[in-house]
Amino acid sequence: MVLGIQPFSDRSADGGPRLDAEEEVMRVERGAAVALGRRAPESPGTLYVTTRRVIWLSDTEAGKGYSVDFVSISLHAVSRDPEAYPQPCIYAQIDLGEEGDETDDSESESGEDEELSKITEMRFVPSDPSQLDSLFAVFCQCAELNPDPNTEIEEEEEEENSWVYSDELMEGGMDWQTLANPIGHSNGDHDLARNVLELHINDERFEDAEELEEHRNCGSNGH
Amino acid sequence: MLFFSYFKELVGKEVTVELKNDLAIRGTLLSVDQYLNIKLENTRVVDQDKYPHMLSVRNCFIRGSVVRYVLLPPDGVDIDILHDATRREARGN
Repeated sequence: MVLGIQPFSDRSADGGPRLDAEEEVMRVERGAAVALGRRAPESPGTLYVTTRRVIWLSDTEAGKGYSVDFVSISLHAVSRDPEAYPQPCIYAQIDLGEEGDETDDSESESGEDEELSKITEMRFVPSDPSQLDSLFAVFCQCAELNPDPNTEIEEEEEEENSWVYSDELMEGGMDWQTLANPIGHSNGDHDLARNVLELHINDERFEDAEELEEHRNCGSNGH
Repeated sequence: MLFFSYFKELVGKEVTVELKNDLAIRGTLLSVDQYLNIKLENTRVVDQDKYPHMLSVRNCFIRGSVVRYVLLPPDGVDIDILHDATRREARGN
């Protein structure tokens, strides 16, 4: 999966985009214009919203088109405010990841492709503004089909060795509010280290019998 | 699933979502899903200087992975419920 807007020119015989094996088209919007960053809108073209990305193909120039993966779309919205943009459109922000931080550095734009990969906003302008809400809904559905590849891995890690153990919290006998506001509470000590040490005080009041045994087997850290 | 459950409780309330690119958007929380994708309505940008073209879009969908913070309304935080929920979550219930 690539971040940012890519040029797209891979068309099938019927003039539509050639898609990946598992990819499906969810919506076709004919007579749609696209505006990249601050560039003038390009039209006429056809917008294809697939299960993986958004593709715009020019109706007039055979090789011209753009695609952006849904994992790269940070947010999308319906824009109807004429002060923001003259035509009602779908506004989308593009996530460039690490590259995004370097936009201020290099002024050199050696080719249109390089410039393309630094664009962070784009707009999709349908010929019929009444289609905007349903187009927005399709964008939402397809975005939901494309969660971050890292998401599941993070969930696994949280279950294993998270640095905050609930057992320790209960042992300290400290309630949530004390933790949230360590300054001025209990002994009024601002020393973070001391607060951490206090977490390890054995207080069996809040322990279930089972968990007590488990915890003894786990051993102690930092007592 | 803790944050998913918690944010579901906040649906209908005003929140401010701060993205990892520093953009902050205020709006009414319309819905949230298991990936913490967020839908806001009646949105307005908090600091308009960086993204002036995003003024008052009506509805927006924010990808969960680009969210840095969700700023909560003061009356939206029930500390006792949150405490119980985090305890249960850490126990793996």
